[in-house]
Amino acid sequence: MKDGNIEQKLQSEARALLKQGRVDYIIGFEAGSLKFTTTPLITSNIADIDRLVINPFIVNNLSVYLTEVKGRVGIVAKGCDSRSIVSLIQDKQVAREDVVILGVPCPGIIDLSKVERLAGKDRDELDDITREGDRVVITVDGNGREFPATEVLFDNCLGCDFPTPKEYDVLLDAFSPLVSDKAASQEKLDKLKGMAPEPRWQFWASEFDRCILCYACRNVCPACFCQRCFVEESEPQWILPVPRWQDSLMFQVVRNIHVAGRCTDCGECERACPVNIPLRSLTREMYDLVDELFHYQAGMDKEAPPLLAAYELTDVEDFIR
Amino acid sequence: MKQDLEWEPRLVGFLCRWCSYVGADLAGTSRKKYPANIRVIMVPCSGRVDPLFILKALRLGFDGVLVSGCYPGDCHYQTGNYYARRRMAITKKFLEYIGINPQRIQASWVSASEGGKFAEVVTAVTEGLKEVGPNKLFADERREHRTKTTKRG
Repeated sequence: MKDGNIEQKLQSEARALLKQGRVDYIIGFEAGSLKFTTTPLITSNIADIDRLVINPFIVNNLSVYLTEVKGRVGIVAKGCDSRSIVSLIQDKQVAREDVVILGVPCPGIIDLSKVERLAGKDRDELDDITREGDRVVITVDGNGREFPATEVLFDNCLGCDFPTPKEYDVLLDAFSPLVSDKAASQEKLDKLKGMAPEPRWQFWASEFDRCILCYACRNVCPACFCQRCFVEESEPQWILPVPRWQDSLMFQVVRNIHVAGRCTDCGECERACPVNIPLRSLTREMYDLVDELFHYQAGMDKEAPPLLAAYELTDVEDFIR
Repeated sequence: MKQDLEWEPRLVGFLCRWCSYVGADLAGTSRKKYPANIRVIMVPCSGRVDPLFILKALRLGFDGVLVSGCYPGDCHYQTGNYYARRRMAITKKFLEYIGINPQRIQASWVSASEGGKFAEVVTAVTEGLKEVGPNKLFADERREHRTKTTKRG
């Protein structure tokens, strides 16, 4: 893979940060136990730095760990991740001086399930997946097949406006340009918007019938940083601990409203969902809604107040009697 | 069927303690007529209303929710209603997106001297809800036996 140089640069930067004592921890990615996957690496040990990787499979939004790790942290961040970090700074959950952002200009992350569908094979049967500019080469049994990269990237990556971190301390080189496909990214949302209200409600009701209330969506979300979530309150008990679609849907809707102006469309909630509820069709709508109503984009300005902790005298009120 | 004929919308009103609640009081003392469909909950400020309250009311089967507070600039806490305005705008649009009729979520500014306006608002909202019909959003026949064990408002 061509990203060897970028990886080396990342490792030397991370090593220097730890050696000079500028940070207590490095949060990055290492190779996962399953083929092609990566997994978060949180370490204070210089010997572990060799394990850091950068490739088109670095899927997680690592900023979720910032509120849990004590001390100063060096963190690998793609475009959306860096916005999540800025959002946490805006909410005063993290101090800017406690974070060293190792920015990665993101080429878009490869969705392995899309690759499997394209190749018609399980990921274990694939020899290699490489990104070459705007193409992706999938090698099976020694034969490489080329596809446009737009066919294998995550939906949220296809709709990404800011792949390169705006806030960073070190910016690594780009290894491939981001390719976007706005129409494909909005496909599921447009389909829902084309439906009448009742079928739309029925759609969500049936999707959330599968929800097991594991709260993985909330736990991976860097915008969900409450120490105590309303779903765990017992006086009053807003939601029963038994999964029922009504409560599950209510939880998700309220969660979306709570993270309005914080969500950066990183897509982690949808990826974390064990029962494949299309959560991004909710989060992206909220993302577009705050842009439409208040011309606000999450995590763009660390000095700005959070969306719902601010107001303008001229805010919309045509709906108020 | 009998139930359908007798159906009247149930509306929850979250009224701010300083303006709208006093406006509602004034409506009463000035003998203004308005539908008895509203159940009033006093809140310190319209800024106190978490969207969670709105969802929970709909979840419990209420047909609509009205959030009412002081006019912009009149908030007892200076700015509470401005935050409420942002939150309500987002909530209303987002609930519309998932398929909830926006008529069910209402907001108004009613000052302490506007007993008449309070009566008008409640009348208009109630009429609107009659058009929209009963809230069956969270009803689920398959699991009715379970929901019956929950307390209902």
